[in-house]
This record gives sequence, C-alpha cells and structure tokens, in this order.
Amino acid sequence: MGIKVNIKKWYNKAEIGGKKSAKKAFMLDVNFEMGNELVVLFGPSGSGKTTLFKCVSGIVEPDDGIITVGGNVYYDEDKRINLPIQKRNLGYVFQNDTLFPHMNVRKNIECGLKSWEKENRGKRVMEMLDLLHIEELETRYPSQLSGGQKQRVALARALAPKPEILLLDEPFSALDTEIRTNLAKKIKTLQNKIRIPLLFITHNLEEAFLLASKILVLHGGKAQQFGTPEEIFYNPQNRHVAELFGLSNIFDDAYVKEHDEESKSTILKSGRMQIKVKYLNCRVGDGVCWGIHPENITLLSLDSGSEDQDENMYLAFINSILNKGPKKRITLKFVRHNKILNVEVPAQFVDSLKLHASDLCLVKLEISKVVAFHCF
Amino acid sequence: MLDQVWFPLYLTFQIAFISSFLVLCSGVIIAYIFARRNFWGKKFAEIFITLPLVLPPTVIGYLLILLMGKNGFIGHIIYNVLGTGIMFTWQAAVIAAYTVSLPLMVRTAQAAIEAVDSELEYAAYILGRSEIETALIVTLPLAKRGILAGLVLSFARAIGEFGATFMLAGNIQGKTNTMSISIYNAFEAGNNELAQVLVLILILMSILAIILTGRFVGKLEA
Repeated sequence: MGIKVNIKKWYNKAEIGGKKSAKKAFMLDVNFEMGNELVVLFGPSGSGKTTLFKCVSGIVEPDDGIITVGGNVYYDEDKRINLPIQKRNLGYVFQNDTLFPHMNVRKNIECGLKSWEKENRGKRVMEMLDLLHIEELETRYPSQLSGGQKQRVALARALAPKPEILLLDEPFSALDTEIRTNLAKKIKTLQNKIRIPLLFITHNLEEAFLLASKILVLHGGKAQQFGTPEEIFYNPQNRHVAELFGLSNIFDDAYVKEHDEESKSTILKSGRMQIKVKYLNCRVGDGVCWGIHPENITLLSLDSGSEDQDENMYLAFINSILNKGPKKRITLKFVRHNKILNVEVPAQFVDSLKLHASDLCLVKLEISKVVAFHCF
Repeated sequence: MLDQVWFPLYLTFQIAFISSFLVLCSGVIIAYIFARRNFWGKKFAEIFITLPLVLPPTVIGYLLILLMGKNGFIGHIIYNVLGTGIMFTWQAAVIAAYTVSLPLMVRTAQAAIEAVDSELEYAAYILGRSEIETALIVTLPLAKRGILAGLVLSFARAIGEFGATFMLAGNIQGKTNTMSISIYNAFEAGNNELAQVLVLILILMSILAIILTGRFVGKLEA
C-alpha cells in the first residue's frame, strides 16, 4: 500500500508576503506515487516542501487534485472529500520542537493513544521508548531533554498510534552533524522495521543521499524530478535540479552535433569545444546544457597521454589551487577554449602529482560522469 | 459596627466570586475564539467586549439599565420568566461586576492563548485529538498563567466596582450596599470611623491579592 499525491495549491500575493509587493504568487504543483519506501523531498527554502506536508496532513487544504494514503482517500477535490486532520492516520515530526512542554515524555507519547485500551497504552509507550532507545527519559519533561533526545521522543510520539505514513519535516536541522548522522541512520533502520511510506524533507544533500530510496526534487513549487539519488545525480532533468545536486561546472552554450548510435553516445559542440556525453534523447541541433561535478573530474600528468577531443581529453592550465583541508579546489582554464572548470581532488593527490599554479595538465571528463540536460 | 462591616464584606465577596466564576467560564471561551478563529465582524466584536474597559462606569450603568430594566430587551425576558425585575438586587450587582471585569479577562487570556505556538495544536490534531480536547489539554494549560492573571484582575475589579453597580443595583442598606458603596455611604453620613475601617480592609485585601498572585505566578514559572 503506497500513497498517491497529485495536488495543486495556489497562493496569491497577499497571503504569501502580507504586503502585496512582497512576493509574486506561488503555486504548488506536485504529482507522485510511492510505496513503503523512504522518499526525500529535496529543494531550496520556499520550494513548497512544507506546504506539501501541510496538504497531506490536512493543515492546509489544496485547491485541486487528490491525495490517497493506503486505501484511504484523504482529499479528492472532484468528490469533495477533505478528511479532517484527526481522521488522517499519519505521523508528523515538525522542524521545530512540538513536544507538549507541560507533559512528560510518557504523557507526550500517550497523547496519540486515546482510542487504545488503557492496558495497551502503557505497553505501547514502552515499545516506543525501547524502539528509540530512550527508556530512561520516560518521566522527564521536554525542558530537561537535549535537542536530539527531543526529536527521538517526537519520533516515538508520531509512531505510537501506528500511522499509515510518516512525515518528517527537517527533523534534524537544528542538531549537530554527528547527532544528525546518527539519527538519520536510526531513521533508515526504523524504515525497515515499520514498513510504511516515509516522507522526509531536507535541504541537506548528504542527508538526502544517506536516507533516500527515491528523491523528489522541488523547485518553485513544482516537482522537477523523481527518481533514485544516483539517477538524479547523473541525469538531472534540468538546470534547477543539476544546481541543487551541487553541479557547479555548468555550460549552457552547447548543441547536439551528432549521435553515435554505435557507442550509445551523443557528441555536443560547446563553443569551440567538442565533448562526448551519454546518449541524449534530443534532435541534432537542439540546444542543451552540460556539466560535471567538481569531484568527478580526472586530472592526469602530461606524460600519461595527449589531448584528444574524441576521448574527452583536454589540455588545461592550472589557474589557482585553493586549500580546503582534506581536499583542494583547483581552477582550470582549457588551452584551446576559454572555459573555466572547477575541480575538487584529495589534497594528497595534488601533492603526489606535484601540481602548481600555472602548470599545464591533462583533464579527462569521463563520459559516464558528464551530465547533459535541457537548459530551462 | 460589626454588622455594618460584615454584611458589605460578605456581599462584596459573594458578588465578586460569582462574577469571577462567570467571567472565567465565558471569558476563556471568548478569548479562545478571538485568538484562534477568524469570522466576519471579529474586529467589531473585540471592540464591543473591550468597550467597558474605557467607558465611564456611569455610562455602562446607564446602558445596562436600558438593557436590564423592565422594558429593556433582557429585563423584559427576565420579568416574564421570573415574574420580578432584576434591578436593585444583588444579582444586578453581579451583572454590573461581570460587565466591567469581562474585558480584563478576555484581553489577558487572548494574549496568552495567542502566544501558544499553533504548531503544538496541529501536533495534537494529528495525534487524533479534537479541537476541544486540544484546547483543554494543550492550549489552555499552556496559557494558564495569562488566564490566572486575568482572573485576579477581574476579581479585583469586581471587588472595587462602584459606578455601574450603584446605578444598576442601587444603594439599598442590607441588600445591595457593597464595600465600595458602604464607604461612600459612611463618608456621606460623616461616619468616618466606619469609612476608615472599610477602606483599611479593602487596602489590606488588595495587598494580599498582589502577594498571592505574585506567589502563584512564581510557582507556575518554577
């Protein structure tokens, strides 16, 4: 049993900014289906991630569309169904701490078990405390808990009533990196135990990769792409997605020169540069963007080959080398064309190749690592 | 002399307790609605409820007479049901005290309820709790300091109420002479001794109220 969301929600100017000139009108337009898996909603602030959660949970009513969870219709504009929040069986962990400050941990968890028989409530609370390894916190009040403990309790509270779906809105954004990673791992193992659809909002790329079986990328209220992290990383559908996934070397002056059916590749012409990429579903002459992640560029010493555009091998000058601790960021300038490329390599590697600013070197852009996409 | 002190003291407390109880019940509901609901005419309703705070007590008294008198809208209904008017009774003094102290409760409680993070309420809704349950187990407990402060203010206001009570309940010895009215009477009659005793009692009570509220609010904070 999965969930299906296909909704639209308009916000006019006045509602968004308070002042009429504050921001332009915003529309949430999302359509996706998922099973008992962990889907990460990924996008910049203001892309509509939290609004989507509010629509699913019933805090906000969409303007059009349908939301079904399991077999239950939560919202259906055509049939005029809009299930009240209380009737939607879901767990929600908010970005901010929403534990009831006047109740201890046990009471907080019990709050969602109103319809349970009294003797089962205590048992369920113990199960939840055990599941999240917080048995010792049972009688504490939220003010006596650390940030990480609070979010564990919030998770226990959300899971206690056995929800059909769990919504997590940046639950760890206020925590230290270490606690954050630990809790993310915990979520991953929880997902295997509870077997329900889990939607997780983040704008932290590492967290998204760590958790997601699939990622739904949102930008400006619109779903841009839905797929596994690797799929999106290597085949972003457009520039928004590519930039969100950390692609910083993007060139938008390319067009499709020809397709090479034999090697299942496409040759692009980008200014005076020629580059071979994975087969691209475009017509010859179509304008496209291409790019490559700074970590995915291979640097070679001059004696390991020569420039060969058919093999994506290029000669380049080293403009500058920037120390970033364990990594170094190298800015390259191609010899034959004016393109500038940022490369990130382990510091050790730079030392072993004895690379210095203004040196010449060979750059290899592996076909499998080069991404190409429509520019819009 | 003891009788002259005892009756007004007893009457004043009776009026203040009943009025404060009514203010608590209705004021919290009104405050919750003002804080959490939007409806047509809300601004007007807020102004209407707050008005007694700024109107001269005699004006409130006069308007209440228009409403509660035998020919008034409510007074007429009461007369038909009970067969007697409500003017110049201690119950009329309760109505006067209620009217002037309600805005103190609504204003303070509304601010306290608005200060409760509505995400906490949504969290309770998502856990299956209805709006009324959520108000009772989450919102109001978290707003209790404000509600308590409103209650103390309302009680103090009811104790000291003079103008509207004077007009609506009159100045009937042994029936509607509250502390404030008795002080006025004693002063008018030149009975300075009685006036001073009553004034002293009111001052002591006020100090006590301030101390008690301070302690109570302090305890809640801890």
